[in-house]
Amino acid sequence: MIGIISYLAFFGTVASILAIAVLGLNLQWGNTGLFNGGVAAFFGAGAYGAMMLGGPADPLQFGAFELPYTIAFAGGIFLAALVAWAVGLLTLRLRHDYLAIATFGVAVALEAVARNAEWLTGGAKGMRGFPRPFEGLFEDQFTYNLAFLAFVVLILIAVYVGLERLVRSPYGRVLRAIREDEIAARSLGKNATRLRLEAFVLGSAIIGAAGVLYVSFYAFISPQDMAPILTFQIWAMLIVGGAGNNRGAVLGAFLIWGAWTSSGFLLAKFAPTAVQIYTGPIQYIMIGSVIVGMLLWRPQGLLPERIERTKTGNEAPGKTASQG
Amino acid sequence: MKTKYLRQLVIAAALTVGGASVAAADCPVKVGVALPTSVDWGKPIAETALWVADMINEAGGVDGCPVETILRDTQVDAKVGVDAAKAMVDLDKVQLMMGAVSSGVTLPILTSVTVPAGVMQISCCSSSTRITGLAEEGSTKGLWFRTFATSNVQSAVLTKLAKDAGYGKVTVFYKNDDWGQDMASLLDNALKASGIEVAASIAITDNQPSYRAEVTEALGGNPDAVILALYPKEGIAVTREWISLGGTTKMVGANSLRSEEFRDAVGMQYLGDFIGADTSSPRTASASAFVEAYKAKFGGEPSGPGLPNSFDAAAISLLAYHAAGNGATGAEIAAKVPMVTDPAGEPVDANVEGFKKAMALLSEGKSVSFQGGTGAVTFDANGDVSAPAVSWVFTETGIDERQYIPLEEVNAFIQSLN
Repeated sequence: MIGIISYLAFFGTVASILAIAVLGLNLQWGNTGLFNGGVAAFFGAGAYGAMMLGGPADPLQFGAFELPYTIAFAGGIFLAALVAWAVGLLTLRLRHDYLAIATFGVAVALEAVARNAEWLTGGAKGMRGFPRPFEGLFEDQFTYNLAFLAFVVLILIAVYVGLERLVRSPYGRVLRAIREDEIAARSLGKNATRLRLEAFVLGSAIIGAAGVLYVSFYAFISPQDMAPILTFQIWAMLIVGGAGNNRGAVLGAFLIWGAWTSSGFLLAKFAPTAVQIYTGPIQYIMIGSVIVGMLLWRPQGLLPERIERTKTGNEAPGKTASQG
Repeated sequence: MKTKYLRQLVIAAALTVGGASVAAADCPVKVGVALPTSVDWGKPIAETALWVADMINEAGGVDGCPVETILRDTQVDAKVGVDAAKAMVDLDKVQLMMGAVSSGVTLPILTSVTVPAGVMQISCCSSSTRITGLAEEGSTKGLWFRTFATSNVQSAVLTKLAKDAGYGKVTVFYKNDDWGQDMASLLDNALKASGIEVAASIAITDNQPSYRAEVTEALGGNPDAVILALYPKEGIAVTREWISLGGTTKMVGANSLRSEEFRDAVGMQYLGDFIGADTSSPRTASASAFVEAYKAKFGGEPSGPGLPNSFDAAAISLLAYHAAGNGATGAEIAAKVPMVTDPAGEPVDANVEGFKKAMALLSEGKSVSFQGGTGAVTFDANGDVSAPAVSWVFTETGIDERQYIPLEEVNAFIQSLN
């Protein structure tokens, strides 16, 4: 029983961290229509940034300033935002698939930097030993893991509530206007270039925050954690959950990560021994089929976007109308 | 009020977990295996580990109990590997974890799953010196072992071969991953310490269409010989370009190039001066016994990387589990490992009869010396393996061993570098 709780807490922590990243991507793609193909880069920037500021001293790696957790946390987010700002300035003139290819290229380039700049990032060996936050306050690992889950869930809720407010605000409506028809938005005097950059930086900062939490939890980061598969996983979560819907983004994160891990678990448990050796490939096929199936039969995702129209009269005041 | 109650509940629950793990002595004995089965070279490593478990069961099982292996795919993804390990430790209550291959997956499993839970972990194939550092500072609590020689030993043997061949100036090509980067910096130190000039040390990244730039850079240094710390795939590409642009055929290669694929693709006429290094001791009877048994089981040579290492990791850890008894904790199993690898113990072979004999002796409290696929393995205080070395050459008919370097000589050479 206790093992199940322990595992579920662990699962919930990882899924919540991924859900935060999906929320960040949802702001970019779901709301603003920016195809970010380099999710892993911003996730990695957050993780490496936090590690360099808060990690332990090690002659092999740069940084290791052992700064307090709050500073490391903020620094990681700042680094992710900074990278996003630079990338955004260069690439946001591009649209759709061109933007996707450009950001994907940036992610691959950054992974190559992390892999090769040994003086900076420890190279392919990665960086380890991030001091787990507040660990001293707890007597045993089990309680600590539950507390860490609570911490991550709190941040997830904060990000969710913040984004919900944002997308319901006039600002959110402008973002959607840019997504739907940029020329129309411009004709109304909206500075689309600037707003696109803002949404891109904010979304990437949220993805960076997920990276910080990831490194806080695993206390280890290596270029392997920035592989393109991460970008694919986050995208799959958003597509299955429902782009444009924050609740869908969180649901997608839990569902896809649940399917990813439980398929391995179930195959290991119930598949005959002779098949066990092939569980890895079978798992890939199953997950791929789920995503293809979703795209074919429910492309809007499990929880599709719900546009709340600004109504006057019978709508409760203060929800949307009063802020417009 | 409510939070206080909740906290008490959590503490009570935490106490139960501590109490419950001691009493668990059910059959079958569950053992976790976290390996990248979805990667082409990972599958045979996993097959070998499962095969050992079958042989142990045939020999009577761990402490009279059959072994049930739970195989999970790590997908060479740290998130996936750690999750799989966590599920096996929490849900299946395994006390022994075999895996993983990539150090980038092995390390987070070690630090965030097995060590906190007190589970023993043994890897066939992770070579990163980062883990040695972790063990030195005591963070692995003696729960960590690996049967793959560290990059330190591998680079020392390569240096010794280059020195014995009389090369004064060399260029190093290394694979651009955690293993290769480790090797490059260690080789650099070792070569310089033994008086060999390093003309250049060049990273080779996987899956590039051409390595002309890297090879041209290497030619500029005009070395006597090249040292190849590469895997067969990119090793073939680099060596072909190197030779076609007029590079020397004097080459020293790491054990990862010990493959017929490499010989056939490069061409025997260019490999006359090639010397390979390996850290195993395939001259012992047990090592050839492993090869024979492998051929009988799988119908082919054990030619992929890490297969004898995987065999030994599984065999040593399961024999230690037997010695510790069913219901033992990870720390208790780890404490029995020296009994299985005791050089003064009774030698036992790597087959069902050997396992039977070993189990009987271990049950009597006697130690044995397991003669595995990589020879008579012993572990140092950091769980790192030390093993004798061998040099080998390519021939028309296969791969021949040339010179056997005993363990004492390897250690003496490593000492002389410091």
